[in-house]
Amino acid sequence: MLLESLGLTLVRAGDTGPVRVLDGVSLALSGGELVDVVGPSGSGKSTLLLAMARLLPGVRGQLRLDGRPAEEWPPTRWRTNVTLLPQKPTLVPGTVADNLLLPWRLKVRAAEEPPTPGVLADALASVGLDDVSPARDVARLSVGQQARVALLRVLLARPEFLLLDEPDAALDNDSAARVTDAVVRFVREGGGAVRVRHLRSDEHASRRYRMEAGRLAEAALANGGE
Amino acid sequence: MANAGVVDIGWLELLLATGFVVLAGGLSLLLDLGLVKDITIATVRTYVQLLALGFVLTFVFAHQRWWLTVLYIFVMTVMAAWIILSRAPDAPKGIFASSAFSMALTGFIVTFAVTGLVVRVQPWYRAQYVIPIAGMVVGNSMTGIALALERMFADLELRAEEVRALLALGATPAEAARPSVRSAVRAGAIPTISSMAAVGIVFIPGMMTGQILAGADPVRASKYQIVVMLMVSAAELLGSVMAVLLSYRHRFTAEGVYLERGFRGDAEVPDGGLRRHRGAGSS
Repeated sequence: MLLESLGLTLVRAGDTGPVRVLDGVSLALSGGELVDVVGPSGSGKSTLLLAMARLLPGVRGQLRLDGRPAEEWPPTRWRTNVTLLPQKPTLVPGTVADNLLLPWRLKVRAAEEPPTPGVLADALASVGLDDVSPARDVARLSVGQQARVALLRVLLARPEFLLLDEPDAALDNDSAARVTDAVVRFVREGGGAVRVRHLRSDEHASRRYRMEAGRLAEAALANGGE
Repeated sequence: MANAGVVDIGWLELLLATGFVVLAGGLSLLLDLGLVKDITIATVRTYVQLLALGFVLTFVFAHQRWWLTVLYIFVMTVMAAWIILSRAPDAPKGIFASSAFSMALTGFIVTFAVTGLVVRVQPWYRAQYVIPIAGMVVGNSMTGIALALERMFADLELRAEEVRALLALGATPAEAARPSVRSAVRAGAIPTISSMAAVGIVFIPGMMTGQILAGADPVRASKYQIVVMLMVSAAELLGSVMAVLLSYRHRFTAEGVYLERGFRGDAEVPDGGLRRHRGAGSS
């Protein structure tokens, strides 16, 4: 599958006049690709992800998924295919299992079979949460554990594309490595992912972009070449 | 007519009652409470509004036209919707229509159910019965709706991140808003339920007080009050459920995006981008 953004533009009122938060941003991505977007804070990285998930009002430009323009996709269906993981891990009150199964309680996935307890246990183990019971209340998770549960929730739902906003920003090295592994596995299995990162990129990215003042430019990979 | 038993209050006696407020004002002046202006305005408003009400009702009672009664309830409902809107400056403007509609529907149904089926007023539009009952029904459902709407928009705001996370997983606005809708309806229902529980023990409700003052038999007044209390509570619950269900969607765009604080009001989007609800992908 192919996800294309063409000339995404968002103009907002700033203190001294209109500001182009997104200034004609184009980005295409196919399954099996991991793309990093780096840049200073306030450059529009998170805004770009919101726009691509169709979670931002007032954006102009074109979005296409699988060759079909966004308006041919019902918004809920679009978002199950192009799923954003917000920077701040946001879980709903309840247990870990409640959260992991949340996508299947929504109308858009009502016809799909939710993952079995065995699948949930394996998934938890895969991100180093083997000691966390699915019955644990999410209020009793650390920030790093919450971030991994939030990531698992989107991974289990198997979107075509994942938009990850600083997925490892608030994590210790070990948790961050687990998150990276899980994302790399998702990409290896055919998913496409955009990772917004504050500064660093790493060797897993197949392409790397730099965002500055609402503009996106392709940057050299960390290892020096394409 | 029941008002045979009402002791008439002369203008002199009215002035005497005003004297007590003047006393309170004097006290405020003495203690430097800074309330004199507020007390004065409130007192003048009480005089003007209630006397105006008296004259308007006299006119309406004297003419007894069905359309006058209906018009009166309609105006009352619109005013109530204005009050709801002014109490919730942060809420989307669309709540005016949804709360007016909810109050009008529940107000008319409940009022005419009471006057037509319980009190069996003849003719059905008899203003002496219909207007005071409609006033209680609409007034109470206004309180319930205002509370429920205020709670819902505040709760959505608190849950903005959760709402966004739910939408990102493919939730519809209804699914993302559901916890806030539930807590709003509960918030609107609590005063009704607690006043139903406390009635007669902690306070004698206004209508019953009025009937007793007018010389009615207390047990008869109780029966009236039970009917009114139940109907008013029902109107309040139905009204707030309906208003909340009709209003939450105003916080979302047509694409189902939750409008966070920075995205409300066209003034903040110089390109008028907000008007183009279709958002990305439509140009």
